[in-house]
Amino acid sequence: MDESPVTEAVATDSTAGAFEPKIVAFLCNWCSYAGADLAGISRIQYPPSIRVIRVPCSGRVDPFFILKALQNGADGVLVSGCHPGDCHYLTGNYVARRRFAVLNDLLEFAGIDPGRVSFSWVSAAEGERFAEVVRDVTEKVRQLGPNKKLLKEEVA
Amino acid sequence: MKGTLKVEAKSPEATIRGLFARWLKEGKLSAILSPAYSAAGTATLALFSNPQKLDEAAPLLPAMGVNAASIVAEFARDASPNAKVGLFLRPCELRAVVELIKLKQVAPDSLVLIGADCAGTYKAAGFRNVRGKDADFDNKHVREQSGYAENVNFRVACQMCEYPKPLVFDLNVGFIGMDADTELWVEAATDKGKGLVEGLELSAQDEPDKRKKALEGLSAARKATTAKRIEELDKAMMGPEKLVEYFSDCLNCHNCMKVCPVCYCRECFFDSDTFQRDIGEHVRVSLRKGATRMPSETLLFHLTRMNHMMASCVQCGICEDSCPVTIGLATLFKKVSQNAQKEFEYVSGRSLDEPLPLATFRESEFTKVGEE
Repeated sequence: MDESPVTEAVATDSTAGAFEPKIVAFLCNWCSYAGADLAGISRIQYPPSIRVIRVPCSGRVDPFFILKALQNGADGVLVSGCHPGDCHYLTGNYVARRRFAVLNDLLEFAGIDPGRVSFSWVSAAEGERFAEVVRDVTEKVRQLGPNKKLLKEEVA
Repeated sequence: MKGTLKVEAKSPEATIRGLFARWLKEGKLSAILSPAYSAAGTATLALFSNPQKLDEAAPLLPAMGVNAASIVAEFARDASPNAKVGLFLRPCELRAVVELIKLKQVAPDSLVLIGADCAGTYKAAGFRNVRGKDADFDNKHVREQSGYAENVNFRVACQMCEYPKPLVFDLNVGFIGMDADTELWVEAATDKGKGLVEGLELSAQDEPDKRKKALEGLSAARKATTAKRIEELDKAMMGPEKLVEYFSDCLNCHNCMKVCPVCYCRECFFDSDTFQRDIGEHVRVSLRKGATRMPSETLLFHLTRMNHMMASCVQCGICEDSCPVTIGLATLFKKVSQNAQKEFEYVSGRSLDEPLPLATFRESEFTKVGEE
């Protein structure tokens, strides 16, 4: 445990200076995480906006994770898994897809721009596609600006 | 097997009590869960096994304090070879039982689902005053509601309910569209149900047109009320911060979760240690904005609950009744769950064979997700 007294926010305010979005990326171990790895070893450039969390399958991503990431200050969330039909566990991403399809409605209902939450399918061989997805998502979130919604409820 | 059943002494309730007595005496059922009046005159439920005790049963009692499916989930998790329990419940309660069976929380083998039409109920809280000392209240209610009579004193969820007749049942006893002083409509849908009506004097015939029309009319009227209420809700919810506002009275008591019949986890994630934070963490979060609302997780709780429940929500509205600060949960959940269920072409509690929406998939659906 950190023993030093807490006196300032650990997360710097993303509104100061030019806005660089912070995006939490849930990548499935078998496809998208390997795709990100390939992008890395191929030295393909993409914005340093994502914070990668490796999950066993896109089906592991509970919508709660997405809401929680947004609440904790992420400007955007990316969930990426194997292409439909290619799931390492055969059907995990089909189930995930159903879940995400209704999550969009709920996000909109909660006043969160659905553009903040992106889903994509990237295989282990698609390093270039992974970089492209990150570029797109970063640009989309940059346009939307810093996430002020849900970032813990304000008193007012 | 279906037909009309003669009502004795202008009392549909006593007639149904007579059926109970018969089933218990003949050993067709070992016990029956039915609405009942407590000694204090409040609405409750009881599990009847002795025919002599049936005077206390009030099968058509028009007030709801809990969704009985929650109680069924308490005692019918496993089947028993010796017990055959009849559940005499309202349509929304039976829909919740169906969802719980699919969620593997209720074992159907020892149960017989006996439904009754329901045209709407009062809140159990305060119902004693509505009923007063009127011993014939239930029958009067049935008489009045056998043709559709709008009643703004009904629970909000009931005013929006488009299912006055159960969707899944072994046996149903109907009064809507019938002359309830003289006859009831009895319909057995399964072998279990047929076993119960065997030996009853039913004048066999097709479902009367008058009844069909009354049911359709009632559904249509309720759909219109629902549309109106959702429109009002949408108006109140315009703008992104409105959901926070809608829940701003929330005390974080989690009653809505505890009373929800289909919110079935033994321990809620939100009551778990995950949300036990130390003081330092709370301060860190507060520093980000300067001030944060305490208790801190109310909106996240409600969003997650909506997300978890929308596929199975039976729109019984018991969450709203249990809310100490009267947040309009019934309309909110009606809207959210209807939208989600439409997306999956699913209706909660409609069928035992339809798989739960989030436990199944089709390869060809939602192909736009992940491809933009």
